[in-house]
Amino acid sequence: MRVAFLSSAHVHADAYVANFRAAGAEVVGVADDDAVRGATWAATHDVPWYSSAEELLDAGVDAVAVCSETAHHRRLVELAASAGVAVLCEKPLATTEADARAIVDSCARAAVPLMTAFPMRFSPPLREAAAMLADGTLGRLHACTGTNQSVLPTRHGAWFADAALAGGGAIMDHSVHLADVLRWYIGEDPVEVYAATNRVLHGDTVDVETGALLMLTYPDGVFATIDASWSRPDSYPTWGGLTVELVGEHGTVGVDAFGQHLTVYGGTSGPLAWPMWGSDANQAMIDEFVDAVRTGRTPAVTGEDGLAATLVALAAYRSAHSGQPVSLPS
Amino acid sequence: MSRIRVGLVGAGFMASVHAAGWAGCPGVELTAVVTAPGRSPARLAGEYGLRACDSLDELLDLVDVVDVCAPTDVHHQITVRAARAGRAVICEKPLARTPAQAEDMIATCREAGVTLLPAHVVRFFPEYAAAKAAVDAGDIGEPGVVRLTRATFLPPGPGSWYTDHARSGGLAFDLMVHDFDYARWVAGDVVGVYARSVRAMRPDAEADHVLAILRHASGAISHVEGSWAHPPPTFRTRAEIAGTRGGLEFDSDRTTPLRPNVRADSRPGAMPLPSSPLAEPPHTVQLQHFAEVLRGEAAPVVTAADGLAAVRIAAAVVESIDTGRPIEVPAVEVAR
Repeated sequence: MRVAFLSSAHVHADAYVANFRAAGAEVVGVADDDAVRGATWAATHDVPWYSSAEELLDAGVDAVAVCSETAHHRRLVELAASAGVAVLCEKPLATTEADARAIVDSCARAAVPLMTAFPMRFSPPLREAAAMLADGTLGRLHACTGTNQSVLPTRHGAWFADAALAGGGAIMDHSVHLADVLRWYIGEDPVEVYAATNRVLHGDTVDVETGALLMLTYPDGVFATIDASWSRPDSYPTWGGLTVELVGEHGTVGVDAFGQHLTVYGGTSGPLAWPMWGSDANQAMIDEFVDAVRTGRTPAVTGEDGLAATLVALAAYRSAHSGQPVSLPS
Repeated sequence: MSRIRVGLVGAGFMASVHAAGWAGCPGVELTAVVTAPGRSPARLAGEYGLRACDSLDELLDLVDVVDVCAPTDVHHQITVRAARAGRAVICEKPLARTPAQAEDMIATCREAGVTLLPAHVVRFFPEYAAAKAAVDAGDIGEPGVVRLTRATFLPPGPGSWYTDHARSGGLAFDLMVHDFDYARWVAGDVVGVYARSVRAMRPDAEADHVLAILRHASGAISHVEGSWAHPPPTFRTRAEIAGTRGGLEFDSDRTTPLRPNVRADSRPGAMPLPSSPLAEPPHTVQLQHFAEVLRGEAAPVVTAADGLAAVRIAAAVVESIDTGRPIEVPAVEVAR
């Protein structure tokens, strides 16, 4: 299977290239509208460099990983779909509802598989909690507290905090992961979204929201909070983390998706570091995508999942702007 | 006031905790106890050698300070009577069942010229005090996002006033008020709240799990989680403060120095109280501080105005839960 990277703007491309190779796929090239960035990335990861996405697609590929700035997802996905190529699209799916729907529709029309890159669906700790919900151990779910906090991601690229390219800040970057975990756990989309945001942290560095607390309410009254803040200091032992705490009818469970780490003092990684020893959720996600493309089936996580999470993030922006909860059609 | 004579109103769980605390306060004499009509303070009176009073008036004649450890809904009437008798008042949190009651308590104490101190004991827990000191010292810059959790089990029932919404105000007033006060202490006045609740463990009881988002005048935002939805003997407390120059956090799950795994039934009949092995229990530290304040030796770490502010936040959280709308929180005018 031949895989191409359409842009290397997103830091996750760094991980995915190794994941694709481990899954037995051939990484046939990268195209990037930023020639310097793309050429550097191509050299670092030993991937052929193409000056345009069209040229790369013409070289013959089975699938693409779209890792551009979010605002460019739609153009690249539509290009891949029209070439009849399967698509793994980085999250969030798009910066606008129109773009997100166009991404889903273009892949559906071309009958190519579309997967949204939500690796948390493949996190073993989160899957164990999903099993506790599915097999009735927790009983009916009542409430959820979710956190997905990180350091300021601009160290991976200034565009993460560029509203025109990223669609916003912390909400766009982070709330979609937990919005999708909740869609997975609850099996429904929220009917109401409330969000409070601020720019207290890094306010002198970026123009987008860095603090974000969301409250999602689901059709049967289940509610969940998401802390999507870029609230970890630069000196934090790792990039950030993701946690979920569920309150169910029969008990509660807390999940730390990145809790399986060593604690290292001193040495090459600085005064304090938390190297992970847990399973690589990215690898399991790429394995699923590669298998779905090879066998011609729908991936376990779809474009519709990416659209749903994007709609939550967009509603959160409207709520943060108005100060009022925003209703979503059920 | 060389030797402070203290009288306890209430003989239940918190009264026992306070009685033990007062026993560790030099210069304080716990002298008397009274409880609600029909209930006997004999056990507590016997244990600490207190005069078991038949009425509040009898107790007021014997003491300089009234320590109100009675159910929340009677804080107001006890405080008002004590103040009019010229007695200083220490009052368990929440200061009152409603903001209006708290305002009236403050006004009455001011008119009577007596001190009113709300027992927001969390300010005296060493991890919370150390985090506040670090914020005040500028160690992490200006707080931007604050997260506070207080997760435990439902106080025993049936018949417990704690779970009677009319008497205690429920989870937001009884448990979360600790963290409403703490959020305000570290990040400043709260201007608005949005909250949701659920009856998770006991469908017949009131809400036992609440998530609240607070907006502060400073621009900071806080996430406050209060829960009675965990099985005994859970009592987990967590705080996380992300600031402009760094962050700090603590979690009782991670800092507990003892992790017993004993082959015995848990004791669900006990009352939830957070604890970590310390030289001096936080409740004792709090009462020692209050004694210093009453002697004029220290400025209060927590004031009645703080207690009112916390009650206003709790009331706004309940209103947000009831209406499904974001609720503005009126500012507290500080007159000390």
